[in-house]
This record gives sequence, structure tokens and C-alpha cells, in this order.
Amino acid sequence: MSDKSSSRSSGFDRRAFMAGAGIALVPLTARAAVQDPTQAAAQDPALPVEVTLRVNGQDKRLRIDARTTVLDALREHMGLTGSKKGCDHGQCGACTVLIGDRRVVSCLTLALAAEGQEITTIEGLATGDRLHPMQQAFIDNDAFQCGYCTPGQIMSAVACVKEGHAGSDEDIREYMSGNICRCAAYPNIVAAVKQAAPDIMKG
Amino acid sequence: MTVAAPEPKANMGNPAPRYDAVVKVTGRATYASDMPLASPAYAFLVTSAIAKGRVESFDLADANRVRGVIDIVTHEKGPKLKELKLYSNGGYAGTTIQPLKSAEIAHDGQIIAVVIAETYEAAREAANRVTVSYTAVVPSATFDSPGTTTAAAKGQNSQFKEDPQVGNFAKAFEDAEVKLTASYDTPTQHHNPMELFSTSCAWIGDNLVIYEPSQYVYGLKNGVAEQLGIDADKVRVVNPYVGGGFGSRGSMTPRTAIIAAIARRLNRPIKLVPTRDQGFTIATYRAETRHEIKLGASRDGKLVALRHEGAEVSSRPDAYCVGGTKTTTRLYACPNVDSLVSIVRADRNTPGFMRSPPEVPYLFALESAMDELAVKLKMDPVELRRINDTTNEPIGGKPYTSRSLMACFDEAAKAFGWSQRSPEPKSMADGDWLIGYGCAATCYPTQMGPSAARVRLQRDGRTRVEIAGHEIGTGAYTIIAQTAAERLGVPLEKVAVFVGDSELPPAPVAGGSNSTASTCSAVMMVCDQIRQRLFKAMMPNQSLTDRAKETVGIGQTPATRAAKSDRSLDLEKAFDALGAGVVEEYGEWKPEDAPLDSFQAMHSGHVRLVGGHSLKDKIAYAFGAEFVEVRVNRFTHEIRAPRLVGAFAAGRIMNPRTARSQLMGGLIWGMSSALLEATEIDERTARYVNDNFADYLVPVNADVPGVEVILLSEQDDHINPAGAKGLGELANVGTNAAVCNAIYHATGQRIRKLPVRLENIEV
Repeated sequence: MSDKSSSRSSGFDRRAFMAGAGIALVPLTARAAVQDPTQAAAQDPALPVEVTLRVNGQDKRLRIDARTTVLDALREHMGLTGSKKGCDHGQCGACTVLIGDRRVVSCLTLALAAEGQEITTIEGLATGDRLHPMQQAFIDNDAFQCGYCTPGQIMSAVACVKEGHAGSDEDIREYMSGNICRCAAYPNIVAAVKQAAPDIMKG
Repeated sequence: MTVAAPEPKANMGNPAPRYDAVVKVTGRATYASDMPLASPAYAFLVTSAIAKGRVESFDLADANRVRGVIDIVTHEKGPKLKELKLYSNGGYAGTTIQPLKSAEIAHDGQIIAVVIAETYEAAREAANRVTVSYTAVVPSATFDSPGTTTAAAKGQNSQFKEDPQVGNFAKAFEDAEVKLTASYDTPTQHHNPMELFSTSCAWIGDNLVIYEPSQYVYGLKNGVAEQLGIDADKVRVVNPYVGGGFGSRGSMTPRTAIIAAIARRLNRPIKLVPTRDQGFTIATYRAETRHEIKLGASRDGKLVALRHEGAEVSSRPDAYCVGGTKTTTRLYACPNVDSLVSIVRADRNTPGFMRSPPEVPYLFALESAMDELAVKLKMDPVELRRINDTTNEPIGGKPYTSRSLMACFDEAAKAFGWSQRSPEPKSMADGDWLIGYGCAATCYPTQMGPSAARVRLQRDGRTRVEIAGHEIGTGAYTIIAQTAAERLGVPLEKVAVFVGDSELPPAPVAGGSNSTASTCSAVMMVCDQIRQRLFKAMMPNQSLTDRAKETVGIGQTPATRAAKSDRSLDLEKAFDALGAGVVEEYGEWKPEDAPLDSFQAMHSGHVRLVGGHSLKDKIAYAFGAEFVEVRVNRFTHEIRAPRLVGAFAAGRIMNPRTARSQLMGGLIWGMSSALLEATEIDERTARYVNDNFADYLVPVNADVPGVEVILLSEQDDHINPAGAKGLGELANVGTNAAVCNAIYHATGQRIRKLPVRLENIEV
């Protein structure tokens, strides 16, 4: 058996994806930061583009590769490392942030597609030193161990309550099942969501 | 108080909230890939698409055209590294298979190239554009594959010294009134900690800083130094928070020295964040195992003969094995015992520790067989354990330092409602759901290793504890802080703890559930040194060693002050008498029966754990009992586990909150191991098929409705100064058998191969 094949370094070719989706996306939402924008956007996605992201109430202007995800933009270009990379495939939920009121996996959201929208990350949840009720509830109920999935769990939990999916334990379990916790703090996460839900609904 | 923070019973510490709670809920806890680097280049791995053979050539032209590519490192210009030596062979690595050294490929997903680029995006794209021509050889994948070799473990693996035996098994089994022979299989599993196997390397002159999630910073530091051929003092490993370990980060993987060498050559910090699927092949895993158990018993249930034969898969070059017969041959009273462990070599990466490495597969076999024997004897499985309970292990006759196995069974049975069980299989149902109740014993050896610590006390009570332990989610920060606060009598909030840095005094690997016992014993000892200095200054004319030892409470905690008010020491007066602003002490602690070279080994990153059955005149284990309710749908065969109940006794419980959480997570791990987790291997290609979170099933919140953890009060003065038995690997052991025993009770079908999925049910 002799076999000539490409490596297995990724099952997902984002260049192919950009060749389709990117052509529509890039000209609409961002200006290429080079002299020849047509060539840059269509032929070489590695050329930086300018994008302004609004994160936790602050605008930040970035020059990034057009294929940069919201997750990598936060982590590698804005110093906001609270959101975590656990799979880069939208399978684990560690990267969950809010865009508007919606919870999204930031590893599957291109930064360019999030321009002009309100992004909230774990760093934007507390008010000064005052923890958000969900953060406090996670502490009170020991809803984490290693802590790596925790930012995603908490962002997801906040949205879960606001969506009206925290009415019963069963609902919470179901609507918190997009976030994997390998330490398996699940029962404590359910308890935390229950504790924080009334405070969050009160606003 | 919440359910998460149970009221402490006798010999338990306070359920204090986690020391690292606020940083973890605010996103400020800095894991390895969160560490800022000055102008880093990004690495992306290219891994092998075949399991055996060689790389004939690379076509890098397309990859090199990607804008931003700096370098593509293959074996043709690979870094010059010293040989990898196995941790069990005086080295540090979990595998001796060294990637990028030659064109040879020894396993699926071996690193064959590293792309370095200005951005993560460019590195990834270029890696996808690397074209590889292979000459492939048909690999041997696993048990029964042509081309594997099998040999007894004894003599191949320095950590597996003997096959435990006592009495005359063959005769006793032949004569036994009731006999059982059964075979069991467990699958390949991967740890899949949430944090990826990241590595960042930055050189400052001749000094290297490594940010990497590690369960053993001293091992990694010394191992990388050895591979690079530099002084270990020039290497520093930093990881104040680790996003889960479960054993996967205990020994060095080849990636670290490779990234360090490339960073040195390019004179630039390099950041590697491998993908989830690469994590399946660039680190270790739990290998698949096979077992045959023979049990002989008298009609009243007394074991008269026990034989456990196990076989485990390892790689071609490395004889890794877990050898769980050391535990299963000693768990119950039985005069005639025999055992044998074999290693089967295949074209795979070297396996490694995964949470309770020996106990998970080997106790699944034994505790399933015990349930089968109970059925044959028409006996309650709890009673069968009671009849065979023992105070001394049968192989060497050594006494257990403490053993609360039956107390755990009784507590858990009560909480679970075991008395409601109708013993006949298929006799309980709720509509379309067949209901089954099952139980199993669980246990884990109590282990300790040499550890050092540095403690600094200021006159205002502020305390700083430094120890190169590891916070992998176990609560290390919290219990170390509690230990120092208690010992020095200062408020918990005045204690600062520093772990996860190889510049700190050495602690053992965070593995084998030894950390609490080892680090807390060291911290206690050093706090005592501080107390002795202060007492000596206050009362220079007394013989103080003993006096100081029995005197608790230097000042601030009302409880300790009240308890020992006649002997308490005013902190400010003591500092005045000493004429110092700060008292700092460093000390090195080692457990009883530790080898002579313990301290030397500790500094050079070599593990020297003692405990379990290897102690001289005693044997030390933590015990528990686990009960599971399963529901099997009689039409769809869907299996659910709505209730898991475990009762555990593990000596002093330092913090009932963190202990409960670990045991709860362990029960869920065990359920997952029984019902969900298996890495599927394509036997034709020896490649992993389901190497991602969508296909490698781990539990999500909806899978885990009800978990109850009961902590029993247990005091054991014969194990270590902290009186603590490790419990991080206690809860996920018995669950495997308990689930299968419950499935038998629900369906009448005995399943001897994990994991059990709906397609395995034939109701």
C-alpha cells in the first residue's frame, strides 16, 4: 500500500469555506487594509483586513487575517483570554460568548461577521468588583473544578436564564448541555443556575 | 450552606470556597495558552495519516506560498534532541517514540512536521497544504491483529515487579463448591481534558520559559532540559492553572522539546495550540484491556480461590502496563490466589496514566465477577462482600491501615434504597422502562511522595506558601491554604498560595492521588518549623521541640485560640522576641518507607511514590461503595442512569466541598466509562476514528440527573502526617461494574464488555 494523501491536521478547510462565504462577507463588512482590495479579499485571505469589534461596551479596531474567528480575535488580538478554546469545532462550548442576547460559540463565528454587534465576554460580566449573580452562584455551588470550561458555562447560563429555559432542573440540564465540563460539575452547575435565575430575571 | 458544601463530620476540615474561585469565574485565571508572549510566532502540527511506515517525501511548495509562513520543520531538518527516556526508566517521557528524528512512523497521528507562521490562521492553512508521500506498511492495531507480540509484563516493566500469588489456586478452584469463569473487555479511552495540549516556549537569552498544562512541572523542566542538553536550572515551567489533567499531563510528551528547540533556532516565542483531534495522538491514552477471572467459593459465599489474568495493549518500543492485579488480588479475603498480566505490543502510541489507571479496568472485571458469583450463590451482592471483607490483605498478610468498605456499603445502601430492590432480574419496571439496581466496591491505593515547601509568615499574620504543586481542578490551592492557616493559626484569607511553577520548592507529580497527602504533610512540617522558631524566641529556656509541636494557635483564629488559650502565642510579641519582621522556613518531607534517594530524585523531577501495597508492614487504601439505578427502554434499548450514589471513606477530608465535587465528578466519569466512552480504532489502519467531542462521547448535563455523594468520617493515623488518603481517583472505579450489574438486574443480560450501548442490549 503506497498512499499519497494530504496530512490530517484538520478536517475542515477554512480556505475553501472563505472561497465561498468569504467573497460575500468580506466586501460587505470590512475594508481590506491594502492597496488593491479586490485582489486582497478574493485571492489572499491572509492579507490583514480592518475590523472594529465592540466587546464589553468598548470599540476596538483590529487589523486581522480575514479568517480570524471571534475567539481568536479576543484571545490573540485583544488580550481577552477568558473565553477558552477547547475544540475549535463548536462541540464543547468553552468559547461561548454573547452576541447581543444570543449565546454563540465564538470559535465558529468569524470576527468580520460580528462587526457592529455587541459582544459580551466573561470579562464583561462583573460590575467592577461586584460579581454577576451567576458568577457568585457558581462559587457558592462549587460549579467548577479545573475552571477551563467555566467562562463558557457562565455565559451560557446567563443566556439560558434570559431565554426562559431555567424553569426546571430538567430544562436547565437540557439547555446547558451544549457546554461540556470534563470534571463533571454538572449537578452543581444546575444548582448554580437555579440560584442565580431569580436575580437575573429581576434584572 | 449549599448541597455543594456539606457540613463537616469528625476529622474533616471546613468546606471553604475555592481559593481560586473568583479568578475562575471572572476569566482571570491564566492557563498556559492565555499567557501573553511578546510577538509570538504560531505553530501548527502536521500529523501522520498512516500508523506504520515512512515518509518518502514532502511537497512543501504550496504550503510555503502561504503568506506569513516562517518555517516548516520536518525530520529532514529536525531539531537535534537527546533521546527520550521513559519516566519508569530514569527519564521523564511517557513515550520513547521521538517524532521528527527520522522518516519512520510508529503510530497514527505522529507529529511529522511543524509549520511556523506569523498568524495562527496562516500556520493552519499552510499545514493543510503540506502534501506527504508515505510508504505504508500494514500495521497491527490491537488485540488479535496479525503481527502483535505478547509477553508477560513481569520483567518488562520496572513498575510491575511481580504477579501476586498465594496458596494453591489450581487445587482450590478445582475443589470449590461454586465456580465462576468469565472474561471482560475494556476499551481504549482518551482523557480529553478541556484544555488542549498547548505549549508556549519563550527564550530569554539562555533561559527558557515554558507555559504548558502539566501535572508535573519538575518532571517537565528536567525532561526538556535533558532533551535540549542544557542545565535544568535554565528551564522554567509555569502553569498556575491547568484545565484538567486526569493523568494526561503527568509525563513529558515529545512536543515540548520540539517547540522549545524551534523557538531557540528562530529566536522568537512560539505558541502551539494543537487541535482536539491531535490531542488523541500526541499525548497518551488508556489502553484497551482483556481479563479472565476465575472465582471459587464455598456455598456460604466464602472465596476459596481467585485468579485474575489481564492483558493490556502497549506500543512497540515501550512496555507500559497498569497491572491492576496488585489491587484485585488483595481486595477480599481469599487463601488461594493466582494472577498474570501480559503486554501485547501493537503499532500504537505508548499508552499512559488515565484516572485510576489500574483500578478502572481491573476492578470492572473483579466487581462484575463478584456480582455474577452472588447471582450463582443466590446471595445479596452486598452480603457477598461482607462475607469476604478482611482486615488483612491475603497475599502478604499485611493489615489495612484502615478499611471502611462495609461501612460505606451500609451507608450508600441506605441512601440508595437498596432494600427496595427485588432481587430477580427483569422484576422491576416503570412503564416501558426496565429498572435495575446494581452496586460495586471501589478502592484506590493511598500514595505519598517526597515534597518540599517554603512558608513565610509576617507579623501581621500574612502568610505565603510556595510549593510546586498543581491546581488541576482538585482544590490544591484551597487545601494548601487551609493547612497553613490551621497550622499557624492565621485566618484563611491571610494565606497566599503559589503553585504551578518549577521555580518553587518541588512537589510530586499530581498523579496517583498523592498530592493532598504529600503537599499538606510538607506544608504542615514547615509550618511547625516556623512555630518552633517563634516559641524558641519567646521561651528560650525551655526544651521546645515537643512543646511547640503540641501547641496550636499562634494568634488570630478564635477557635484555635480558645482551644489552646493557655499556650497560644501572641504573634507580634513572638516577632519582637525574635527580632525579625518575617519568618521564612523551607523544609523537605518524605513519607515513611520512601527510598533513600527520595530527596535527590524530587529535585531532579523523578517520581518516588510509596503507598498502597508497597508499604513495608501495612497496606493503605481508600474505600467506597457505589450504587447505580439504570433504566433500559424495553423497545428502543436506550440506557439511562438516573441515580448514582456513592459513599466514601478516605481518612481526613481536608475540605468536604472540594472532596465532594471530585467524588461527584468521579461517579459521573465512571458512568461515562461504562456507558459512553470508547476510542474506536480502525483495525485495518490502526487509526482512531472518533477523535473529536462529537464522536468521542463524554457526558453532558442532560446525562446526569441525580448524583449523591456521602463522605464517611474516618481517622487513620498510620498513613501520613496529614492523615489524608487521596480520593481524586476513588469514585470512577467501582461505577463501571455497578452500571453493568444494574443492567443485568434490569434486563437479565450480563454484559462483559465496555462501554455498554443500546446496540448491545438484546432484551
